[in-house]
Amino acid sequence: MSKPLLTILATACALALPALAHSRPLTLTAQLKNYGGDGAYLAAYLTDAKGAYVRTLWVAGGKAKYHKHLSDWSRLSAGDAKRLDGVTGASVGAGRTLKVTADLADALIDAGYEIRIDAAVEDMRDSPSEVRIPLSKANVGKPQAGKQYIQSVTFQLQ
Amino acid sequence: MSWKVIHRWLGLTVGTLAVVLGITGSVLAIDPVQQAWQAPAAPGDLPVATLVERVTRTVPGAEEIRHLPSGAIVVFSFAGDQPQAQYVDPADGRVLGAWQASALPRWVKNLHRSLLLGDAGRWGAASIALVMGVLCVSALVLLLRRMGGWRQLAARVRGSLAQRIHVVAGRVVLAVLCLTSLTALTMSASTLGLVELDTRAEPEVLSVLTGQPDLPGAQLAALQSLAVQDLRKLNFPGPTDPEDTWNVATAQGQGWIDRYSGQMLAWQDATLAQRVYDWAVVLHTGEASWPWAVVLGLVGASVLLFWLSGVVIWWQARSQAPHITGNSPLAQADVLIFVASEGGSTWGFAQTLQDALSQGGHRVYTSALENFETTAATRQVFVLAATYGEGQAPAHASRALEHIARLSASAVPVTVLGFGDRQFPAFCAFAVALDQTLRAQGWPALLPLECIHQQSGQQFALWGVALAQALGEPLVLEHVPRVPPTATLTLMARQDYPGVTGQATAILRFAWPAQGPGARLRGHGLARFAAGDLLGIVPPGSAVPRYYSLASGWEDGFVEICVRQMPGGLCSTHLLGLQMGDSITAFVRSNPGFALPRTRRPVLLIGAGTGVAPLAGFIRRNDRRRPMHLYFGGRDPARDFYFGPDIQRWLGEGRLATLETVFSRVPDGGGYVQDALRRDAERVRGLVAQGAIVRVCGSRAMAQGVAETLDMVLAPLQLSVSTLKAKERYAEDVF
Repeated sequence: MSKPLLTILATACALALPALAHSRPLTLTAQLKNYGGDGAYLAAYLTDAKGAYVRTLWVAGGKAKYHKHLSDWSRLSAGDAKRLDGVTGASVGAGRTLKVTADLADALIDAGYEIRIDAAVEDMRDSPSEVRIPLSKANVGKPQAGKQYIQSVTFQLQ
Repeated sequence: MSWKVIHRWLGLTVGTLAVVLGITGSVLAIDPVQQAWQAPAAPGDLPVATLVERVTRTVPGAEEIRHLPSGAIVVFSFAGDQPQAQYVDPADGRVLGAWQASALPRWVKNLHRSLLLGDAGRWGAASIALVMGVLCVSALVLLLRRMGGWRQLAARVRGSLAQRIHVVAGRVVLAVLCLTSLTALTMSASTLGLVELDTRAEPEVLSVLTGQPDLPGAQLAALQSLAVQDLRKLNFPGPTDPEDTWNVATAQGQGWIDRYSGQMLAWQDATLAQRVYDWAVVLHTGEASWPWAVVLGLVGASVLLFWLSGVVIWWQARSQAPHITGNSPLAQADVLIFVASEGGSTWGFAQTLQDALSQGGHRVYTSALENFETTAATRQVFVLAATYGEGQAPAHASRALEHIARLSASAVPVTVLGFGDRQFPAFCAFAVALDQTLRAQGWPALLPLECIHQQSGQQFALWGVALAQALGEPLVLEHVPRVPPTATLTLMARQDYPGVTGQATAILRFAWPAQGPGARLRGHGLARFAAGDLLGIVPPGSAVPRYYSLASGWEDGFVEICVRQMPGGLCSTHLLGLQMGDSITAFVRSNPGFALPRTRRPVLLIGAGTGVAPLAGFIRRNDRRRPMHLYFGGRDPARDFYFGPDIQRWLGEGRLATLETVFSRVPDGGGYVQDALRRDAERVRGLVAQGAIVRVCGSRAMAQGVAETLDMVLAPLQLSVSTLKAKERYAEDVF
């Protein structure tokens, strides 16, 4: 990379930093069980105190045809045309770990918001709301088990 | 590119991968069969409400009821933290045992649909399915061509064992294989995102809190009126979410039901794409019906059979194909040889010519006639052309004449050498037509048109002498014809007839040696044959085979021919001189146009002299007792009524319906066979009007007389021999 370009990048980052001061990165780690099936489709998303959909954090599994099996997420996020923008990846194999990060506004923490994960595996049963973790400082780093496919989920805030 | 080329190369290349898909598909078909035995199917008219009532009694915390395509009922629930999936008896809700989606390891399915290569592999598998579809279509075209149209599709298949396996199996499973590839493509289209099954969002509906308790599933009107046969799955409202709804999916669509009021809050009809997809899945997997799964399993395994037999067929064709050695590149060749050959023997002559010219220092390029062209380097062109049937071009050169007629002539001499048989009226007709076209176009010729009779090596050598003179070079054409692989036959019985005018005749019966399936698969040894096919015999002291009509079929277990002494005939003398236990080398050449199609229609058999042999073979194998009527013409019942006692016996057994004999050399013998036909005109008309199939065997003169007589006899029906021939109801075997 040329020097002027690096300079521009550095300046841009410096300017962007103050904006980031109001938000913090959230790291979500989900360890899957050995459930003996193909790769799992997972949708991690945020709901507010009333249970209404706020935003999608991550969707693992790229085939739109199967997204309806993530039924809660699919229904709740139907109105969000950008729900898949920049937050998709491959499905997660049995026994593997999914680790995703997202920037969260400070205001969302300890305000009744919830991280939810829907899970689905081909030929196995769908698991809407496999995990629900209230987004509170108290839950940071606290592993939580899923209903069928997820061994444990933890989230970290920086 | 021809269908044959497409079929062969796709089959040999992509077909290898199709075998993997076929075998894995075959293994996957085990699942539906096995599942069919695990749990009883629910009665189709059982109301879903009743089923829900039974299930809630026996499975506390049921979350979902699935009606499997096999008809069985599976209930999903949680036992504490443990998710459970269990078969349930629809009659009483009793839990029958744990359910698993598949008893097979997952890699089988993944190998089948993605070759274990993820998404890229899915594209690969879909491409293989597409190729499979092309293979099926090309197979159908080739099958129809080989069998002679739809109506002949069920007819007997000829050829080597591998060819028969390929064609017979193809006839049986082609439709299912085609359906399988079509359904595979349908499924792939949605999985690969080429087609969206349903782009609609689910309706946002919630149960309306009224303060009342949940309505039990058994009391939901929507479920009372829904029969289990239409149910796909039913999701119970979640216990922790008071606004959750019932969700019911049927073949027709999906509905959401309020848990308190029981009202249908929303309904979405299944899209057309979704219905098509559902059907494709059912047809492709056989999950709804285990007998269909068995069929699919067998068809999947058959892909291996097709591939193996296809490879053998390709290998056979390769080793039998015209194989010209020592070709120079076209652009550098000063002599070009173009060949039109039906049976392949003309290629042998071309090779002899090529070798002789190459030895003389020429650079020679030999190719098939349809590739006719000249280059700047060309100095001489030779066209070696055989004639097929009634003066037509050999199949591969069918367009060659038009092609040549479009070219503008150059100063390069083009010499035509025809190959044919003088016994046919259209002797070398195609070569004649070629020569006329070339001259009309203005091409000069080095030598005038010459026609070789019956692949005569002598005549070819003589033409070589003329050629050497014209070229002003020493040139010797010594042709040794290639004979198909032969088998050694041993004489096991002979029946002698004194014949007429001193021409002894005998019916010779030979045994063939036992041959292993390997040899038969490769087309070695004696090919399978039927009465009416030809036995090629190479007599000692000659390289040119003579052909005799077979009076027996493979099922008879012996090879039988009727041989008459020809004056000075090398082969007939050899054959008639055979003692018991002596052996000959021979091969079978099929005569598909003469074989009898498999129908119940009456058959009119007309034979004279030794020409009765193939007809006797037809009658001998007439186990189904279809009405066969024989007109036999001889000279003297005491001397040349070949197969006489057999024919009488077959008449008694009902293999032969009626027999009419005429003998020309005895008083009141009835004259010739055509006289008998004329006398029986009314009856013959009746048989033909019933759709009779006619087979004529005898001398050329006799066949011509019969055809003329029948033309007269059939005129009142507005029919003629040529119209019957066009409908493949009339065939001759003449000598």
